[in-house]
Amino acid sequence: MIALGRGLRRLLDGLYLAGGMIAALALVSILAIIVAQMIARWTGLIFPGAASYAGYAMASASFFAFAHALNRGAHIRVSLLLSALGRHRRWLEIWCFGIGSALTWYLSYYAIKAVYWSRKLNDISQGQDATPLWIPQMAMAAGAVLLAIAMTDHLVRVLVLGSSGIVADTVEQSHGE
Amino acid sequence: AEKWDMPLAYPATNFHSENAAAFAACVTEGTGGEIEIVTHPGGSLFGGADIKRAVQTGQVPIGERLLSAHANEDPIFGVDSIPFLATSFDDSVKLWSAAEGAVEEALDGQNLVLLYSVPWPPQGLYFNKEVNSGADMKGIKFRAYNAATAKLAELTGMLPVQIEAAEVSQAFATGVAESMISSGATGYDSKLWENVSHFYEVDAWLPRNSVMVNKDTWAGLSDETKKVFTDCSAKAEADGLQKAKDYTKLTLDGLASNGMKVLKPSDQLKADLALVGEAMTDEWLKAAGDKGKAIVDAFKAN
Amino acid sequence: METLAPIILFLFVLFLLLGTGVWVGLALLGVAFVGMELFTSRPAGDAMITVIWAASSSWTLTALPLFIWMGEILYRTRLSEDMFRGLAPWMARLPGGLLHTNVVGCTVFAAVSGSSAATLTTVGKMSVPELRKRDYPEKMVIGTLAGAATLGLMIPPSLTLIVYGVTINESITKLFMAGILPGLVLAGLFMGYIAVYAKVSKNYKPQPEPQMTFREKLANSRFLLPVIALIIVVIGSMYTGLATATEAAALGVIGSLALAAGQGSLTWKTFGESLMGATRTSAMVALILAGAAFLSLSMGFTGLPRALAAWIADMQLSRFELLMALLVFYIVIGCFLDGISSVVLTMAVVEPMVRAAGIDAIWFGIFVVVVVEMAQITPPIGFNLFVLQGMTRHEMTYIARAALPMFALMVVMVFILIAFPELATWLPENMRTRP
Ligand code: NA
Ligand code: NA
Repeated sequence: MIALGRGLRRLLDGLYLAGGMIAALALVSILAIIVAQMIARWTGLIFPGAASYAGYAMASASFFAFAHALNRGAHIRVSLLLSALGRHRRWLEIWCFGIGSALTWYLSYYAIKAVYWSRKLNDISQGQDATPLWIPQMAMAAGAVLLAIAMTDHLVRVLVLGSSGIVADTVEQSHGE
Repeated sequence: AEKWDMPLAYPATNFHSENAAAFAACVTEGTGGEIEIVTHPGGSLFGGADIKRAVQTGQVPIGERLLSAHANEDPIFGVDSIPFLATSFDDSVKLWSAAEGAVEEALDGQNLVLLYSVPWPPQGLYFNKEVNSGADMKGIKFRAYNAATAKLAELTGMLPVQIEAAEVSQAFATGVAESMISSGATGYDSKLWENVSHFYEVDAWLPRNSVMVNKDTWAGLSDETKKVFTDCSAKAEADGLQKAKDYTKLTLDGLASNGMKVLKPSDQLKADLALVGEAMTDEWLKAAGDKGKAIVDAFKAN
Repeated sequence: METLAPIILFLFVLFLLLGTGVWVGLALLGVAFVGMELFTSRPAGDAMITVIWAASSSWTLTALPLFIWMGEILYRTRLSEDMFRGLAPWMARLPGGLLHTNVVGCTVFAAVSGSSAATLTTVGKMSVPELRKRDYPEKMVIGTLAGAATLGLMIPPSLTLIVYGVTINESITKLFMAGILPGLVLAGLFMGYIAVYAKVSKNYKPQPEPQMTFREKLANSRFLLPVIALIIVVIGSMYTGLATATEAAALGVIGSLALAAGQGSLTWKTFGESLMGATRTSAMVALILAGAAFLSLSMGFTGLPRALAAWIADMQLSRFELLMALLVFYIVIGCFLDGISSVVLTMAVVEPMVRAAGIDAIWFGIFVVVVVEMAQITPPIGFNLFVLQGMTRHEMTYIARAALPMFALMVVMVFILIAFPELATWLPENMRTRP
């Protein structure tokens, strides 16, 4: 039982980190696409659909990293009440992760549905890339599901162990400001 | 009473948006308030790129979209944007009446019903110098923003440069671009006379905004209500065309009074561009197949 | 008025979710969901995904992770030591002495970093120990740093301005240009305050600096060359139109990597850390933007923003009165929310009001940045306070009090902006007619 639990823990943490790394790769590819587009313009060439590709990479960089960022306490929340509650914090955390799980599963459901409909409706990018949209939208769906799994994972941890294991990283949160 | 939210991509003061607002009022009044259409201009509900899909899937019942942006899905949607095929308001109307059936059919397959369609002012060529022939265009840095304009650059021997819409005026100011194809209205709205000297009224094509309804929603309307819609649509299409003509004149006069040279193309330039037009029509026909051929033949026969 | 019920409901759900600690992005999503379910018969989930996909896959937004990444790289270089060495000799003789390195250092670093907190950490990790060593009054060291670091948001590049521009669909390059002059004026206000303080206060008795010849000062300035080169690449390329804001960000990342490599501080480890840090931070902002996109759609369906804009128009508020109301409003929510959240949360409603009042959207962006800057240093939630708390081990109340004069100067800055709108509008309007 314990070994199974540990294995599951390792698997889930590995998943979040892997998501983060895929997101990081997407960030690097944004850089590569923008640079390639600039060079193309300077040399009188065309990089068809560069703006669209950069946009898809942007979506992947965000969605794949959501769970990893949650795990590292990077998502912003107003924690005044949470810290004021002291040892009763657990109850409010259950509420937060409960709401969070519900909302992220809702998001996941419609993200998957969007992929399905984009495919069915043959929705194609309006840019020069003419990419079938369900392909880049898969990143959105996968990232949303990963976040929902992470939320549920932490909800279970709060319920069973009493704490989520996330330590809010205010330094990291501050970097967006 | 039922509220219909109608997303529009362009600002409230744009003539298309004003026309749509008049259409909305017409329907609201005609149905005695049974259907109240509320316009949301400026992309405030859905952005332009998302409006068709939103109507298609019933997220909103009605919306307006520049259909040619969706030519990747079906080349028929791009029929109004073939360079140098229909080069005046009259031709644009003729081409549209030849194409309307096919476009409606394509929309029907996407769960959409076409209500009316209004052209934008004709597309002209902006240059930073006098240009009298195809030869004068060689080597000029030309703003290409989609496959068709990139092809246009290739056929005329201009150098394509890729610039997003928001960066156009800056690109001209810094010499990153020296030419582009767009309507006089674009130059007027973004005060291009500060950076560009010549505008040639080549009337390359007249893209259209189309207003469409979700097919399921449409099927649920009574015949009486449908009649209100078709009457208001006919009126909106006619009023919109007149507004487009008025706006064309207003903006071209505006360019000229601000010191830009607004010129008719020379015969040589016209002839050279007509050749380009033939090549680009062939290109489109290759993609659009028999349906496309039928449209172009019907248009030319008229 | 019939809009009152939805307003109260929206606010109740919003405060409930935010106040109980639900993550900001998800709280916005939740409020939007409630709005859609109650006020329209349209399928909420499908519409949600349409706008979230559009917001998340936007080309303009790509400037955001790149500028964040650039800041993360620079943070791991020796840039701040070099800046202090280069700047200090020139500041030593001014009234207020090396306290000015806080302001000038932040101003210079602000020109390569998009974040206030990153500016604070980078400049502060060098200036605080050096200033303490020389017996500058602690309150001034802390206060001026907390205040001046907020210039990171106003002087381009600026994450707040990117978020603002993406939210209301305005050119980010123009917004960036608009921030330059007001940023310099605000820096001038801070420096003026330091000079006056040095003349007036009895607490001001730092140790004198050793004399330096002009040649020596010049020689020390070579340490500034890397950061100046980076500023020229980033702001220069945008101003001359050679690069868009996104492209300037890409150039900035490459420049910072080159700088780090030149200093020998670029290893696979620091590269990986900077990249993962940037990925997390931009994901955090992206989740908030996704929630805000849905909230804005939901608001659009309810017709609330339009009704409010009409209501404001009916009240016949003057432009000035409207701005004063917004100033108070933003100061209050700024106490509890971070800047990016307060911008995206309010824009769906505030944008139509502001446009209806005929206020220039670019100018208003700078107004918003000043009020968001204030939020950085007001308790209980203010990121500069948090960061300084970690850095100096002072109580938050002490830091907030030390920063209070800077807060007052920012209020003054708002009035300067209202009196001289050209400060913000002149550069963006004139950049295209560059020689
Ligand atoms: Na900055
Ligand atoms: Na605050």
